[in-house]
Amino acid sequence: MTDADGRRPEPAEELVLLRNRIDRLETESRRAFGDAQREADALFAQYQLSQLLASGGSLGELATAVVIELVRLSGGEAGAIWLGEHGSAVLTRAATVGPDTEARSPFQLEGLEAARSWSASDARCTGLVLDEEPPTFLAVWASEAEPLDTEGLRVAQLARHELGVAFAGARLREALERERHELAAIVDSATDVILQVDEERRVLRLNPAGERLIGASLPAAVGRTCAEVLGCDIAGGHREADCPLAEVLAFGVPIAYRETALRGNHGDAVRVAGSYTRSVGPIPGAVAGGGRATATAILRDISAVRALEQLREGFVATVSHELRTPLALIRGYSDTLLHLDVDEATERSYVERIHQVTDRLAALVTQILDVTRLDADPLILERAPASFAALVARLRGDLALSGEDGRLVVDLPADLPPIEVDSGRVGQVLENVVANALKYAPEETPVVVAAEVEGDWLVATVDDDGIGIPEAERRLVLEPFHRAGNVRESRIPGTGLGLYICRRLIEAHGGELRIADRPDGRRGTRISFSLPLLPNRGRATGHDDEPQPAGPSRPTESVGG
Amino acid sequence: VEEPEVQVPAESTVRLPTSPGAVAGQTVDAPAVRAYLERARRIVTRHAAYLTRLDAVLGDGDHGDNLVIGFRAVETMLDELPAETPPGELLQAVGHRLVAAVGGASGPLYGTAFIEAGFRAGDAETLDVTTLSDLLAAAADGLSRRGRCAIGDKTILDALRPAADAFARVVGGGGSLAAAVTAAELAARDGMRSTRALIARRGLALRLGERSAGYLDPGAVSCFLLVRALAVR
Repeated sequence: MTDADGRRPEPAEELVLLRNRIDRLETESRRAFGDAQREADALFAQYQLSQLLASGGSLGELATAVVIELVRLSGGEAGAIWLGEHGSAVLTRAATVGPDTEARSPFQLEGLEAARSWSASDARCTGLVLDEEPPTFLAVWASEAEPLDTEGLRVAQLARHELGVAFAGARLREALERERHELAAIVDSATDVILQVDEERRVLRLNPAGERLIGASLPAAVGRTCAEVLGCDIAGGHREADCPLAEVLAFGVPIAYRETALRGNHGDAVRVAGSYTRSVGPIPGAVAGGGRATATAILRDISAVRALEQLREGFVATVSHELRTPLALIRGYSDTLLHLDVDEATERSYVERIHQVTDRLAALVTQILDVTRLDADPLILERAPASFAALVARLRGDLALSGEDGRLVVDLPADLPPIEVDSGRVGQVLENVVANALKYAPEETPVVVAAEVEGDWLVATVDDDGIGIPEAERRLVLEPFHRAGNVRESRIPGTGLGLYICRRLIEAHGGELRIADRPDGRRGTRISFSLPLLPNRGRATGHDDEPQPAGPSRPTESVGG
Repeated sequence: VEEPEVQVPAESTVRLPTSPGAVAGQTVDAPAVRAYLERARRIVTRHAAYLTRLDAVLGDGDHGDNLVIGFRAVETMLDELPAETPPGELLQAVGHRLVAAVGGASGPLYGTAFIEAGFRAGDAETLDVTTLSDLLAAAADGLSRRGRCAIGDKTILDALRPAADAFARVVGGGGSLAAAVTAAELAARDGMRSTRALIARRGLALRLGERSAGYLDPGAVSCFLLVRALAVR
């Protein structure tokens, strides 16, 4: 070793120099180690921050996490973050951390300039603009004991861009989420069925309206084919080969309108009008499989529209027949009476015939008016306590006029409790049902009126020995203008309105009108309808009026023993 | 998430660490460190699936797998290091290996702990209980500094710091290495369990806010496992 002069130093001197040099090297290496450590710390802090920023979550969650992280990084005691909207300068506080932040930070800041000068006015507060548009501002407060860690603040400064991107991402996610919610709300609240299938026509989505119409829950429907779920083939909608969903999937050409039928939740066929489209894109929620085609059907239940059409058609047909036939008869008989000389007996029979036919016409007009009134909402009932037996007795009196009372067999229990109904309306129902039975059952056969109590209801039944109503038509004959096929063939005149009116009137009372086979297995029909019993009937009849025993009504079982 | 699948032994089952180089079970030499690292690898591997499940709740669901990868890398590295490598150097090498091999934040954090411990051990051939105590404290300090975390933040530190403190207390009171290790393990376990109620203040779980309460911190659980591996059973 030599010194600057090239002179070889003395051994003792050499030792001192050597020791100094070692000391220097050690200090340097310690400093280098310290620097490296700080560098590593900063790198790790950046890494953790970016991990946090990349981890998703809502805007609020991100804001809170970022404030916590940055307060930590800078060694401060508190912090707050303000977020603005695009195109607006105003910032609103989104998250705070640490003591008294609510008190020492304003809820709103009028722009970034205001934010800067506000933070500058507080010696312990350091403000940091994270983004200009939309404005994003962070403030960190140093503790009383020590100033902020500049290294940590530097990390935050360096991550400014990343922070801005993360907040933009979170805003975007929130906007998308909001949009998704809104769309989902539209789909969920739609009254039309919305059904989405994949390329194999397996159900991906079905909205609540679809679940209701088809009677299948979404989880039960998902993954099954549209043919299984909708049952178009069975319902007579279209053959499997003609599936409109398959068609749009294959050709990509939207179908704007097509009528078909599907299997409803009662297993019955429901007429629907649908529009069908294909879209290509990622299946929501699917990890892979982007770019796959899906087809969406929007189906509207048009059975009501169809029913209305049928009603109109039925009305036209019925009216044209039921009005014109008697009119033609009246015209014919009156012409004859006017222009021809007929004997007195013939004349009388003609007038009687005209009278008869006029009755028929009047009945038809009454029924049509009834139907019109039924469709007026609400149907006003004049409910009052009544006796079903009395209603039956009144009917018998009416029938006695035409001599048909002999066929009416009344089989009522003596202690039938009172009902609470509109007597006029229920009398009309009883008359109509019994008249039908008398009309369609062979002459001389009995029509049996019976009744029993079921819970809060009185269930009345009318049995006849007639030709019966085919099972498949039982639901239909309760609709307006529908007459069962076997009745139409029988050529007995009728409007197809009677049972419909009866059903509506019973339903207006909260009851039910049903058509069934006779329970004794004989040919014919049983029409049953339920009527509400008078509440608290015990007081009215004097039955069941005894005070209840104080103890339990049944002996209790002994425990143990 | 169920309780950890680890059984904490009664104190009596913990035996003295023994290795050819250990003196009366009161010091630790390079073979003992290598044996510890092998135990650590095995315990982490055994509970990897559980750690990953825990991490799936609070983090990104890879903690167990990451640690297995890291300690496997450590095993390979140890085979390549000369047998005479002193404990301090071994620990530093392990730390660097963990930083490089373990994904996520736990790599740099555990890595730092090992490096700081190794640094504290210097080039001594054997480490006595006092040095071991300092070494654990250095590990906790390093991890705390790098992670900028404190007790109660729901992190590794919630298990590591109590373990280091308990170890130091026993050593300070003249206790044996085995007693110190047992105390450290019990303290780490309690620290780990304390994280369940905590709201995360560090790491990915931060974004969950109050929803992070109710779950054990996977880092604290893995730290408990690494402390538990100190004892030879």
